[in-house]
Amino acid sequence: MLTIKNYTNSILTNISFTLPSNQNLTILGSNGVGKTTLAKVLCGITPSQSITINGLYPSKTFGEQRAKLINYIPPKLEVFDSFITVREFLTLSCLDTHISIKTVLETLAITHLEESSCQTLSSGEAQLVQVAGSWLHGAAYTIFDEPTANLDPQKIQLLFRLFKNPNFLQSKVIITHNLDLAYKLGFDVLYLADKKIAYLGSAKRFFEQKNLDTIYQQSVQKIADTLVVKL
Amino acid sequence: MKKLIQILAIILLLAAPFIGQLSIHPSQLLDSSSMNHRVFFELRLPRMLLAFLVGGILALGGLIFQSVFRNPMSTPFTLGVASGATLFNALAIILGLGIAGSLFAFVGAMMTVIILFGVARSFKRYDTSSLLLVGIALSFFYSASLMVAFSISSLQESYEIMRFTMGDLAISGFGDIFILAPTALLLLIVILHYRYELKLLLTSFEFAHLKGLNVKKINAILLLAVSIAVGVVVSIAGPIGFVGLIIPHILKIIYAQSADKLILPIFFYGGVFLVLCDLIARNLGTNTDVPIGVVTSFLGAPFFIYLLIRK
Repeated sequence: MLTIKNYTNSILTNISFTLPSNQNLTILGSNGVGKTTLAKVLCGITPSQSITINGLYPSKTFGEQRAKLINYIPPKLEVFDSFITVREFLTLSCLDTHISIKTVLETLAITHLEESSCQTLSSGEAQLVQVAGSWLHGAAYTIFDEPTANLDPQKIQLLFRLFKNPNFLQSKVIITHNLDLAYKLGFDVLYLADKKIAYLGSAKRFFEQKNLDTIYQQSVQKIADTLVVKL
Repeated sequence: MKKLIQILAIILLLAAPFIGQLSIHPSQLLDSSSMNHRVFFELRLPRMLLAFLVGGILALGGLIFQSVFRNPMSTPFTLGVASGATLFNALAIILGLGIAGSLFAFVGAMMTVIILFGVARSFKRYDTSSLLLVGIALSFFYSASLMVAFSISSLQESYEIMRFTMGDLAISGFGDIFILAPTALLLLIVILHYRYELKLLLTSFEFAHLKGLNVKKINAILLLAVSIAVGVVVSIAGPIGFVGLIIPHILKIIYAQSADKLILPIFFYGGVFLVLCDLIARNLGTNTDVPIGVVTSFLGAPFFIYLLIRK
């Protein structure tokens, strides 16, 4: 169980919610509203005592015990040493012994990148390598920050199927601006606005046209069970 | 290319103590009463070992500083440890305690380490860039104090201070080697022990944190270990520049491997590089030995630029 109680900083105010084990969540909100900030607080990168996961403080717990609690996949892969290869990156990520690097690379169709330097990957390739890493890490909660931002349509489809697969990780938290992805995933939605949680509940209710009109000021329309942005 | 460099490095290490203004033939080492025997065992061999250990420690220090500070321009002297040692050595010279210069220099280096980590503990939120800025501020403070030291010292004292700031490997006997060898060994043990953690840090601090690493603690351990070792080096040989900056970069370009796999090669070639520089400094035919720091810069800078262009 992930619990955040009354968390406040300069961007967010009085954030409280719980996410039971094996439940998924989509976090939505406009640019700069604090989605990434919230993610970093949840996983302990920004220290806070307002968060507990299975009774432990992620910012105060270390070692494999901490790593197993929560993982965060940023929008951009950051690797300082230019000679660290994809294989080395994935080996460092590998905490879950139930799945092999080979299987993960094959599933994500990136076997050809295995010996490439992480710094030479395209944004989309780097994103898939990070997804592979998260799979091998196998934390109780995994937060994906804009996982589809740099992916082509086929890769988005691949990732969508993975997110829908109950055997792929335990609890997934998806931060995205891709409303159609959020809609089709059907995970519970947490919508941030004006520093607060403006909505927390089912996807079905959030994606009702009336609610979308209110939140997105009639810029999003549901057409044939697909969400499109009016341009 | 790697094999060739290895062979050349070993030949250099074996030959270096025999080469100098007084050439020594290996057969002369058998006569323990000869002057050449004494020059070899009391001057040349200790000097070569000193150069090797100093070079190794500085190169390894460079690797750790560049990794922890995420800054390819970082050197083991970035945090002001060398400046602190230099200032205290200057104080010893001015106070007429030049004989205790090394001890003063070590106290200066350690005092800097204590100040740095004391300040770091008071940070509300730890980050290496703040520590780096404190180190740079301390360096400027020490440099200004050194200028004051120059202005109140005599001509002879100024010359002695100046010589120290350029680095000096002239030693007699193995006394300093008995201090430096365990220092180098301990530093190597600490860094090799934290090799996995270093690799996580070489990816990103966030990544390392998410894998369960106590980033703050590991950074502090690595920086402290390097700072203490560098403090010992500077107190014995003065601040020898450029080794810590270029050797890690050169080795990464030659080996094309991540830094965690280059701990031993960087130590070894850092040592070899300084032995080579010292050999050149001793054999330029000038009245006095050219300061070692001058040779490291003259030799290292063009080679470094050449490698960068080739890369």
